[in-house]
Amino acid sequence: MATETDERTEPAERTDEEFGDRLIDWRTREQLLQVGLYGTAALMLLFLWVPLLVIVFLSFTESPNLLPFEGFTLYNYTRVPGEADLQSSVVTSFGIATLSATIATAIGVLASFALTRYRFRFRELYRTFGIVPMIIPGVILGVGLRFYFQFLLPVEPGFLATVLTHSLYGLPFVLLIVTARLYTFDESLEEAARDLGADPLTTFRDVTFPVIAPAIAAGFLFAWVRSFEDYIRALFVSGVEVTPLTQWMFGKITKASAENLNLLNSVSTLVVLVIAIALAAAMNYGNVSGYVAGTAHEDEEE
Amino acid sequence: MAAPDRDESLRATLVGALSSDRTGLGVTALPGAVWIALLLLAPLAFMTAVSFVTRDPLTYQIVWEPSLENYRDLFVGGTTEYSLGPVGFQATAFEQAMLLSYAIATVATVLCLVLAFPLAYAMTRLGDRAFKVTIYLVLLPFFTMYLVRAYSWRLMFGGSGVLNQALGAVGVGPVGLFEYGVPAIIVGLTHAYFPYMLITLYASLDGLDFSLVEAARDLGASRVDVVKDHIVPLALPGIIGGSLFVFVPSVGAFITPQILGLGTVQMIGILIERRAIGAASNAPAAGAASVIVVLTIVVALLVVFRYVDLDELGGA
Repeated sequence: MATETDERTEPAERTDEEFGDRLIDWRTREQLLQVGLYGTAALMLLFLWVPLLVIVFLSFTESPNLLPFEGFTLYNYTRVPGEADLQSSVVTSFGIATLSATIATAIGVLASFALTRYRFRFRELYRTFGIVPMIIPGVILGVGLRFYFQFLLPVEPGFLATVLTHSLYGLPFVLLIVTARLYTFDESLEEAARDLGADPLTTFRDVTFPVIAPAIAAGFLFAWVRSFEDYIRALFVSGVEVTPLTQWMFGKITKASAENLNLLNSVSTLVVLVIAIALAAAMNYGNVSGYVAGTAHEDEEE
Repeated sequence: MAAPDRDESLRATLVGALSSDRTGLGVTALPGAVWIALLLLAPLAFMTAVSFVTRDPLTYQIVWEPSLENYRDLFVGGTTEYSLGPVGFQATAFEQAMLLSYAIATVATVLCLVLAFPLAYAMTRLGDRAFKVTIYLVLLPFFTMYLVRAYSWRLMFGGSGVLNQALGAVGVGPVGLFEYGVPAIIVGLTHAYFPYMLITLYASLDGLDFSLVEAARDLGASRVDVVKDHIVPLALPGIIGGSLFVFVPSVGAFITPQILGLGTVQMIGILIERRAIGAASNAPAAGAASVIVVLTIVVALLVVFRYVDLDELGGA
């Protein structure tokens, strides 16, 4: 393309040789830029990954520090099954994440239909406040809900309070992903089903649901992970009895003995591993990457 | 045969309800509206109300009488001399925490933007397979626990952290920059929120028509001009949206300053947490500080929504 430009600007004065030189020049420059762009991109991926790889590496070493290197071991992993506190915190986190993500998904999917299928007066407001729980700093959401539960509602800090808090926190993730899918949904499919005599429930079950199911699954996954990894919101509402995994980990980080850090490294590695597998499965099953990047289109389905 | 009959009539009622626009809207919109009203708006309103009463310093009970004392405490009295580079100024602990949080969040946002742009741009030019691998490599750290990521930088930084040990191994002494503190927090926040920026930027760059870029180049525009005049304006919704997603959580960050500043860097999130939990807890004071932070966020949102529609922010 640029060669054509060059010809147009000063066509008469150019010999083939000069033209060839300019072309090579242009191509080298283009290649250099290309290398620079992809090089920078690769460096960014490295920036994201190096700290995680350091944890993985250190989880297999005797010492929680890089130096002095004292050899490899699996001992840090053999300790995991013996930690009763750790196991109960994992169970707690799984329970909270699963319940809250289920609530967030149910409410979020319904709200997504309201936003995409109906015109109503406070639609923009509804959408905005539906996104706010994701943006508002966790400290503030936590403080607000703590006082609210403490003074106004008969909800003791604990499991239920945490589930409620996280169900609100997960709502925007479901909302964003499912509305994005519904906007690109071809509504004539539903009309056709209704014209053929299907009632709204049947239409939803047989036509709409199969199409938006991957988006719902992606939304659930997002809400689940956000609940599972949350520390700060739960800190304010979980009380002293309920200890999610993040609070267990935070305790180990602040009491940083070599023994604690070794255990923490192996638990962190397991977390990364489980999420790696779940994400790979989710991306294979549905178009998660598309929904995340906001580029899901009907034809990219499956 | 009672149960199937009931199921049938329930089904008939549901079908009837969903066929009407009014009830259809009610069924779909109401649960979300109730949730938002009960768990977001009411708590924030209550927090605001609490911020206008006081706590008895002796009994620790809340005295339900209107007062502006908490706000006065935030901005007046108890000032200390602080210095920001060559500039010295008087500020309360709250003012200093606000200033510090905004400064740190600004640097983290700019870093995310500068770092994410080339990667987002490169991702739009990738083939299907390479794109899938790249997005997986981006999403995995993104989905990994926030706490684990903050902890990973705790291992990297510090006097005997991985970075300084690696430098020591090649003969360069421990570098002060890699100690725990503000630089570590900025790196931690950048790492934590980088994917938000990347995904939002990618979503807006992906819609970009590259034939425009090529046309501009054909017409003799320099690369810098193309970026400045074409790519940036077209990606503006993504830039603003991504900045919002990085900036707002960074301002209120708690885990990152706690873990990477060893609690010595008093960002606003830590200040609020100290006042809300523990022996010295003071709900009205924590409420007042939170209200001010929320107000600054609302202003930021209003500014942003003058320029972009929420729909354009992408599905992050």
